[in-house]
Amino acid sequence: MAFRKIFTQHIQKKTCHTMAFYKQHGGYEQAKAALSKRKKPDTLIDLVKASNLRGRGGAGFPTGVKWGFVPKTTDKPKYLVVNADESEPGTFKDRLIMEKNPHLLLEGILICCKAVGIETAYIYIRGEFVFATERLQKAIDEAYDAGFLGNNALGSGQRIDVTVHRGAGAYICGEETGMLTSLEGDRGNPKLKPPFPAIEGVFGCPTVVNNVETLANLPYILEIGADAYRAIGPENSPGPKLFCVSGHVENPGTFELPMGVPLRTLIDKHAGGVWKGRKLKAVIPGGSSAHVLTADECDVAMDIESLAAAGTMLGSAGVIVMDETTCMVDAMLNVMRFYHHESCGQCTPCREGTGWLAKITHRIAHGEGRMEDLDLIQDVCDRMVGKTICALADAAAFPAESIVKKFKSDFESAIQNGGSPAWKKRHPSVVGGAASHA
Amino acid sequence: MPDIKTPTTRWTLNGQEVENTSGMTILEAASEHGVEIPCFCYHPGLSIAGNCRICMVESNRSPKPVISCSERIADGLEIETESEVAVDARNSVMEFQLINHPLDCPVCDKSGECVLQDHSYSHGPDRSRFIEDKNIRHTKELGPTISIWGNRCIVCTRCTRFCDEISGTSELCIVERGDRSVVDVFPGIPIDNQLAGNTVDICPVGALISHDFKFEARVWNMERKDSICGGCSRGCNIEVETLDGFVKRLMPRENQDVNDWWMCDEGRYGWRHLYSDDRVLEARGPSGPLDSSRSITAFIEILDNSPRVAFLIDPFLTCEELHLVHALAASSSDSLVGGWLPEQGAAAEFPAGFKISADKHPNRNGAEQVFGHQVFGEDASHLQRALDDGSIETIVAFCGGPDPDGPGQEWSAALVKASTRILFSVLEGNWLDGAALVFPATAPLEKEGTWVSEDDRLQRTRSCWKPGETPFPGELVLLQSLQSALGTRSRSLSAAGIFRELSEVCAPFAGHNHSDIGSSGLLLSDRPAGVGAGGGA
Repeated sequence: MAFRKIFTQHIQKKTCHTMAFYKQHGGYEQAKAALSKRKKPDTLIDLVKASNLRGRGGAGFPTGVKWGFVPKTTDKPKYLVVNADESEPGTFKDRLIMEKNPHLLLEGILICCKAVGIETAYIYIRGEFVFATERLQKAIDEAYDAGFLGNNALGSGQRIDVTVHRGAGAYICGEETGMLTSLEGDRGNPKLKPPFPAIEGVFGCPTVVNNVETLANLPYILEIGADAYRAIGPENSPGPKLFCVSGHVENPGTFELPMGVPLRTLIDKHAGGVWKGRKLKAVIPGGSSAHVLTADECDVAMDIESLAAAGTMLGSAGVIVMDETTCMVDAMLNVMRFYHHESCGQCTPCREGTGWLAKITHRIAHGEGRMEDLDLIQDVCDRMVGKTICALADAAAFPAESIVKKFKSDFESAIQNGGSPAWKKRHPSVVGGAASHA
Repeated sequence: MPDIKTPTTRWTLNGQEVENTSGMTILEAASEHGVEIPCFCYHPGLSIAGNCRICMVESNRSPKPVISCSERIADGLEIETESEVAVDARNSVMEFQLINHPLDCPVCDKSGECVLQDHSYSHGPDRSRFIEDKNIRHTKELGPTISIWGNRCIVCTRCTRFCDEISGTSELCIVERGDRSVVDVFPGIPIDNQLAGNTVDICPVGALISHDFKFEARVWNMERKDSICGGCSRGCNIEVETLDGFVKRLMPRENQDVNDWWMCDEGRYGWRHLYSDDRVLEARGPSGPLDSSRSITAFIEILDNSPRVAFLIDPFLTCEELHLVHALAASSSDSLVGGWLPEQGAAAEFPAGFKISADKHPNRNGAEQVFGHQVFGEDASHLQRALDDGSIETIVAFCGGPDPDGPGQEWSAALVKASTRILFSVLEGNWLDGAALVFPATAPLEKEGTWVSEDDRLQRTRSCWKPGETPFPGELVLLQSLQSALGTRSRSLSAAGIFRELSEVCAPFAGHNHSDIGSSGLLLSDRPAGVGAGGGA
């Protein structure tokens, strides 16, 4: 079966975001079928389980299994919280769906609500996504007007309400439990697990947390069935996938391709290759939290298992390409400043570790590095990984340890030659470093 | 051994199979077996935050180390607290905690009782690998009694959780993110709740500093004595800390039956009047100061020449002192005893159950046990009427409270109708004018003896300092000297001895003695139902 785009098929059309356009192209048919009274919720969960759909937010958890954790009988309301925070650097796929294809997301939400027995869904959207918020709200209004949402969603007798909630610009609010805390009105600190959100999530009630792209897969799964879906890409992490390519390429953008597309093909064919005819130096394959790959390691398929085997992760599929002129010290400084700025500060290893890493990297970049700093960075990373409530410490440590390990010569050069090339260029008079600590 | 009915869990701690009540956390259960796991953010009175990460231990159920304050024991669980993984996790956290923490222990008030300092000795590195500039965070007043020294803050959130959960006032919050995060208040809303001082106690470092104690003493130089707060009739258990015989600080002492881990600010800071310049520090007659023996002679002379003596007791006196007054009153025929109560204050109850009583004195209940429960009611009215109709010439009145007005205007006006007045007072005041004899009274924190709280709990209060350059004999000693001079006492006893006498003659105290009261007190059980001490509120 030829690969069919489901997210980006029509995005060049001016009216692609409207309900009329969406319905014209078969929209809401799957939700109607799913919400019909004859359809049992469990069959939907079984179908999604059988499809092997894996979460598209970063962790890649099987979606059907996650739904299965929600208690069938409970006296509390159940919630769906759609993670539309998309805060991972290098990632811009959910935004595309929400801006160009918002009804696809709404149809996915309807299907999920039916499967799990949910009446209230929140879309927690990144605050900076003003345009996406407008488009999404418009789509929701259209859906309410058409009776697709509301007290009698799609005539099913089931109440399904969807509310858009804007975040205020914190990376940590893209972390599942941090998002729930923020949605509750508190400072967006991640919560201790257990209890997991499926048992005790937002407002202390069972909650499904799914990524935008994950939910947008659902109508297609219902349409073609689990077997056909599993045939797209590798069996264990199948499906159409949005890949975001940014950095030093000729044609950056979001590309919809089957899961498992070779990374080289993605960069060279779809993204137009490394820009200006330069050579590839490094690639971060799954958002800034992933281990970096060297040019030699880039012969890898873009799917969950293959990238894990290569020692990194698919994450949010934010592919950041760096050409041969990139100083990896500066690249790491950029990443470390981000995590230092975004750590929520509740867990000690992350609060202190992110700041420490940023300071060491800053010092190396500015010509005051010491050779022993390279071991120190590795050691600080070791001390951060797996020791915190959420994965932000890991997300900071993974790129740090892999950049230093794989591009050691860049660091040695910065230490020996008075700083990174970019810094020296900006500060020609102080080359050689300020008063050294060494 | 756990009760048979309580379900237990068998698990393995450091290679040894152990058993605990099901549902406990690893940290609590390990502690029962003598394995103390370090912690910062954990406090038994607060919810679990799990943010400091120092209590990480190795578990057979998790590939990563788990936090023992939050993880619960389970059958078959194997926990290692001293394995390489656990020790490394702990040491990591210590290193992280210390990199931005200032080395200002020499000027920090928490030094010596600082959890970070203690854990640093046990688990911290002996040198720092951190050569960067340390972060600077704000130092500012958060309220009238508390300041934050932000550089020291380890963001454990004990104080914010206290304000959310115990006082229910939520003034404190964490502002900023990452290693800039620090405790602060919202603009224009200072921390000014009645329990605010507890946040300083539970701060594991010297980040929250009490203005009252700032730079007052090094904690290791202070002496500590267990006592009871005399600020209201709750009877909060406290620890009185003194330096060179001077009170420096009151701290709450854990008692799950009374005050949990807390005390109110009214009690905590309510001891300054002990050092007032207006204290009565020596006995005096109309013609001037009297030494101990002359004052007793004068007292006896007055008693001998009075056909009818009345006693006005106060609810600050200990049960032992009250017993002596009772005995003294009983020795003269036709005597009258009544009691006065301070004005009612504000009662309060907090979300977690901590209470402040409206009765701003410690021992109304005890006095009612010793004299019968009419002493502040019918007996007092009777005494007042007798004073009004002039049938009382001589009265002995006590005031151990912090009010310079003594027993208040109404009683002061009634007292002057007795021509001869022997007055015991903590502070100088107008009500002492024209007294035949004035004796210095002891205040709470200066008394040795027992009080009975509004919940009927018999507790020991301890004398923690002695006022005056030449300490005066307190009521306990003085009343016994009077008895000796009158020939009704053969030898002078300690408070414990007087209590023994009391327990022999007064039913509610029967069978008890000072040593079995212990540090957490005991309930006076055999009171008839319905005869409560309350009713004042």
